[in-house]
Amino acid sequence: MPTLTIDNRTVTVAEGASVLDAAVELGIVVPHYCYHQALGAVGACRQCAVTILEGSQKGLKMSCLVTAEDGMQVSTCDEESRSFRAQVGEWLMTNHPHDCPVCDEGGECQLQEMTIGSGHGIRRYRGNKRTHTNQDLGPFITQEMNRCIQCYRCVRAYKDYCGGEDFGVMGSRQRVFFGRFKEGPLESDFSGNLIDFCPTGVFTDKTSRFKTRYWDLQQAPSICPHCSLGCATLPGGRYQQLQRVRSGSNRLTNDSFICDRARFGSDWANHPQRPREARIDGEKAEFSVVLSQLEERLQSLVDTYGGETLRLLGSPRASFEANLLLKKLAVRFGAPTPCYDAHPRRAFAARAAGSIPSGQLASLQQLRASDLVLVAGVDPLAEAPVLALALRQVVRAGGRVVVLDPRPVELPCEFEHHSLTQEALLRGLSAPEENELLESLRQQLEAAHHPVLVGGGDLLGGAGLLLLRRFSESCCGDSDCLIFPVLHGPNSYGGGLLEEPGERQRDLLEDLENGKVRALICLEADPAIEHPDPGRMQLALARLDLLAVFDHLPTHSVAAANIFLPTRTLFECGGTYVNNEGRMQAFAPVIEPGIPLEVSGGGGHPLRQFDSGVPGSAPHSAIHLLQQLLKDRQDLFGLRRQIVEEIPCLRDLDRLEAGDSGRRMADCGESLEESRLEIWAQEGELRLLPVMARYGGDQYSRLSQPLASRLQQPCLWIHPLEAAERGFGEGQRVVLRTAVGHFRLSLSCKEKMVRGRVMLPCLPGTPLEVFTPGGLSIPCQLYAEDDNA
Amino acid sequence: MICLGNFSAEIEIMKKLLLKKQIDAFRRKVAKTEHPRELVIDLLREIQDRNGWVSDEGVELAAQILGVTPIEVEEVATFYDKIYRQPVGRYPIHICDSICCWSRGGEEIANHLQQQLEIKLGETTTDGLFTLLPTCCLGGCGRAPSMMIGRRFYGNLSLAELDRIIEQLREEAKG
Amino acid sequence: MNSTPQLLFKNRVAGQTIFFKDYCKTGGYQALTKALKTMSPTEIVDVVKASGLRGRGGAGFSTGLKWSFFPADAPRPKYLVCNCDEMEPGTYKDGELLAADPHQLIEGMVLSAYALNADVGYIFIRYAYDQQLRNLQQAVAEAKKAGYLGKNILGSGFDFELHLHGSAGRYILGEETALLNGLEGKRPNPRLKPPFPAVRGLFGRPTTVNNVETIANIPHIINGGAEWFKDLARNPEGAGTKLFGLSGHLNCTECFELPVGIPLGELIEDYGGGVWKKRKFKACLPGGASTPYLTAEHLDIALDFDPLAKVGSRFGTAGVTVFDDHSCMLRATLNLLQFFARESCGWCTPCRDGLPLVCWLLEKIEKGEGTNEDLEMLKQQQQQITGRSFCALAEGAMGPLDGLLRLFEQEVIDHIQKGECPF
Ligand SMILES: Cc1cc2nc3c(=O)[nH]c(=O)nc-3n(C[C@H](O)[C@H](O)[C@H](O)COP(=O)(O)O)c2cc1C
Ligand code: SF4
Ligand code: FES
Repeated sequence: MPTLTIDNRTVTVAEGASVLDAAVELGIVVPHYCYHQALGAVGACRQCAVTILEGSQKGLKMSCLVTAEDGMQVSTCDEESRSFRAQVGEWLMTNHPHDCPVCDEGGECQLQEMTIGSGHGIRRYRGNKRTHTNQDLGPFITQEMNRCIQCYRCVRAYKDYCGGEDFGVMGSRQRVFFGRFKEGPLESDFSGNLIDFCPTGVFTDKTSRFKTRYWDLQQAPSICPHCSLGCATLPGGRYQQLQRVRSGSNRLTNDSFICDRARFGSDWANHPQRPREARIDGEKAEFSVVLSQLEERLQSLVDTYGGETLRLLGSPRASFEANLLLKKLAVRFGAPTPCYDAHPRRAFAARAAGSIPSGQLASLQQLRASDLVLVAGVDPLAEAPVLALALRQVVRAGGRVVVLDPRPVELPCEFEHHSLTQEALLRGLSAPEENELLESLRQQLEAAHHPVLVGGGDLLGGAGLLLLRRFSESCCGDSDCLIFPVLHGPNSYGGGLLEEPGERQRDLLEDLENGKVRALICLEADPAIEHPDPGRMQLALARLDLLAVFDHLPTHSVAAANIFLPTRTLFECGGTYVNNEGRMQAFAPVIEPGIPLEVSGGGGHPLRQFDSGVPGSAPHSAIHLLQQLLKDRQDLFGLRRQIVEEIPCLRDLDRLEAGDSGRRMADCGESLEESRLEIWAQEGELRLLPVMARYGGDQYSRLSQPLASRLQQPCLWIHPLEAAERGFGEGQRVVLRTAVGHFRLSLSCKEKMVRGRVMLPCLPGTPLEVFTPGGLSIPCQLYAEDDNA
Repeated sequence: MICLGNFSAEIEIMKKLLLKKQIDAFRRKVAKTEHPRELVIDLLREIQDRNGWVSDEGVELAAQILGVTPIEVEEVATFYDKIYRQPVGRYPIHICDSICCWSRGGEEIANHLQQQLEIKLGETTTDGLFTLLPTCCLGGCGRAPSMMIGRRFYGNLSLAELDRIIEQLREEAKG
Repeated sequence: MNSTPQLLFKNRVAGQTIFFKDYCKTGGYQALTKALKTMSPTEIVDVVKASGLRGRGGAGFSTGLKWSFFPADAPRPKYLVCNCDEMEPGTYKDGELLAADPHQLIEGMVLSAYALNADVGYIFIRYAYDQQLRNLQQAVAEAKKAGYLGKNILGSGFDFELHLHGSAGRYILGEETALLNGLEGKRPNPRLKPPFPAVRGLFGRPTTVNNVETIANIPHIINGGAEWFKDLARNPEGAGTKLFGLSGHLNCTECFELPVGIPLGELIEDYGGGVWKKRKFKACLPGGASTPYLTAEHLDIALDFDPLAKVGSRFGTAGVTVFDDHSCMLRATLNLLQFFARESCGWCTPCRDGLPLVCWLLEKIEKGEGTNEDLEMLKQQQQQITGRSFCALAEGAMGPLDGLLRLFEQEVIDHIQKGECPF
């Protein structure tokens, strides 16, 4: 760990850190463009020059390229480096337009800041500027190439880091152009990172254009709710409207990247159908009235029939604190411990992940540094997109990725894919020593320096994850083989912790159907489509005496509720999610709750008249509502303190701050459940496996308008040979027959998927929502559309 | 993009760009080498030799043969000044404007050509015969002023010589 | 007239190319045969080191020393790359050599590869050298047929595979790491060093890049010996002969093989036939467009790396471009800077944006619209760009600008004061 002196201040930095890193550490501003912590140094922009007074190389040097040495003396304020930095500022500005007043980047432009930081003020060049013709890059991103300062960060982020294949740098000398071969929508699932990485206003967010100037924007650090990885985000909004999402920065998780689902999929918070008013039996009412009604009804029900007849359902969408309060509510009414996922198999997967000692769980950062990753039963781009980016970094650094999955998995990097059925995978994991492939992989993992196993909760289930854990123990060579479980929702892991350990989860549906349950409280959960058998669930829900729902999404359960209480979204309140590797991460409120103030000036300019909708109806957070029912008046911090006292393994919960890197939960003690492998199908018959769709499959982003262009069209995946055997071809219209009905779909042939299965990317909000991923394959039959008329 | 679904149309376009035997030869080389991308300049040069320039379809064909994306070919193609990504005349004239030719009347040569052909630098004559392109040193410094038409070098130019060459090419184009 | 022993131009006949049969008649491939049969690779490296041969591509680094850093024991493949980009204005010697006698380069390549234990070679040839490319194609075919290329050369067990790469323009490809990217089919931006090509070069493997003339000298060194080669130079610290390409305002603008260390005045008078149109010598670029000017006071200087460095210039590629006393040196410098600005690859700021700014200033002053502040700014630009760009292209561009400001400042001031070009 070298200790060096910069401008007479001393700092000790990590081995291998650059002089620029060291300056950043000291808070000394050395302007720079091409260097980015996540992309590394390339020495192109020459903006970061400093003078090395003592060290193995002396004189004016690019601080991003010089490794910090012990005893080094560096100056950033000497005349030589100071004047050179100002000169670089002048060079970069020779062609930059003076359009800051109308530029979307205005106020948050690194070029503005670093030009000032460089000391350049007056441009002496009076000649013509070079200009470019812009490209239309689709619905997400606006390009304004004249603003480019040729730092090459865009192409290094889009292409090198994210593996995008349709973006590059063209031309040369003073006329380099960054864009696509031909105009058209950017194809990468991570295209939005261009916005964050471009230091100036070349690539800006088209979906938030002309909404709010940066200095008027309300922003707060948050956590992405679209999958279980818990990527750091920085949402922004104004006038009660969520307007954009940028990537936050957490080196332990997503580093500085988020996927497009996160960035452009958050408009659900503004959804016109978002339920915002409390209701009793369909009638609008004041929330306090509804709340006391709820309490009364619950009390009388419990008094009459006993606590056993009340069930509570938390969810992976709800914050950890709200889910915990729900458990307290259960205690208060003498009801059984809540379930935290309406999907019993997913709930078991979450409990299984929670039972893995935290020392054996990998963070994404550890995963990126791995040399061999075995991915068992995960389709990263559908289930956890930023995982795909991490896998790419493994390959870029010379490591290997091996995927065992029935699906036609795609990754933005080279990898080895073994397509085998879910059943074969589970069987293999249950007896790896008898399976040639797994045995050889086990040996390779054992020989690897930093092996990591990634396991999908949806495909493997809890039993599978436990088998994976056992497998990982047999792979530990010189270094431990870590596990990276992928779960369903942002707080699946947290929910799993709260469920009763050791006790096999009862299927809520059975209890509802046999009439044991009279009342159900759903916390930001929609059992009507989250349960693997939505049809039966919907019937069962209809038989309840009382269905009480707390939510902010327009769901089936909300529509069916006797008592409904609107809740705030994560953008409107504070809370915590526990991500797939047991990392507690806090999010902070970004905007006020309430109906977005829509512009009512009829398009006139300036826009001065606003209409605030129904006043006074702003929803409360689920935490607050539950606290009211529990007569608990603590603030969020007090609540967290109390939780820490009650559950020691959550010891750092009260130290969390939104925007920090989160804290790993301590081990909660081994609580291994008996793991019974589900019965699997025989090979040979054609079966249907419902799977996550890449876009439109999660409850949130499907409701986001900007993502509409990426939403998947309904189709059925089949192996081309499987199709050919039946005389079908690509695009063929077929009828899919299953126990829950038959569906007309067109076939999409996928070379890389397993044979013997058809797969349905599930799409809530469409007739296909009766299929829920996360289960085993089900029997089905296929007919050509006309045979079946 | 060349539409992958429409094979016959694709083959038509390809045939126009390169002969089948050229394509096959490249495919064989690609199969043999560990890094097919090293062939990109060869391929672009050959497409240009046959078509006079490299069109979007040419870039796409090159990408397809090499197994890379069109943008990866375009990144390279747009770097080199002797790969024409816009149509040029039948005789692209590269007039050297570097120091040795400049010192021996290069500017006069350039002016004369612009007058005679009635076009400015960078333009193509309306009959599609000539395009005037200023170029850096051609390695003919001992025979300055010089130019290159297509890939043929002309040195020790005088105005009279220049007129003769243009006339000759016009004749050649007729024949 | 030329009494210098001719090595590289031994077989040169104006307008003709010597191929295999004639090359062999004059002793061609004897050095290779001798080396493969009687010398170990390290012996060859030692001889080259002792010969004092310095790289002919411009930088003048000792070839033997460079080779001794090459990891000859590293596993295969290892590459030897010959740089025939030769796009620096004023430089055309490699083109002349290949137009006359291409087999010299082939023999040199095999010999050098043997010395380095490299198994694959590339010759990178600029677009404009179409004739030279075709000459080499023929020569490679002939050499292969005769067993001088390919597997088990002359029964020695040494294999060497040689490829030709015809480029498509752009000066930056002469920079060795940009050249490697170009060969790989990537955008030819220069690479960050370290790692140096000897460690991670072409396709990530150990690679040596050498100039055409450097490599063509190897067979002669093997034939004649280190001492003999060293003694060919006229100055004590020099070694060998050198191809001098004359251009500009001379009566005779040709390429000559002359001893290293020949005085500038002698070169101009005896070989260049004196300044044209009976005018006087004003200045010259001694080694290509990137080398600072020499003036009449330097006519006695020995043309070689060290003596030229002492007077603030560089030997470069020994392409000598002469300017007569009617020349506007500001205009000449503008022409040179325009070349460099246009050939910038666009990677780093000083080169991509700094050089056009310099051009803008020079143009403004040339037109008579300059001010004293512009002159100050010009000097600043020269200081700020020198030594601070990513590769040596912009550094080279500062050569003539440095010469202008150091030797012809008064000319620049005259432009400003007169409000027009005084020439
Ligand atoms: C901008 C630039 C252009 C260059 N052009 C050439 C060239 O055309 N030919 C050449 O041999 N070396 C050229 N060089 C030098 C090469 O980078 C390299 O040093 C040389 O090929 C090494 O060979 P040598 O040691 O035999 O001289 C150039 C360097 C720079 C920075
Ligand atoms: S577009 Fe932005 S990120 Fe890309 S090179 Fe230009 S300034 Fe840098
Ligand atoms: S940040 Fe160091 S050169 Fe760009």
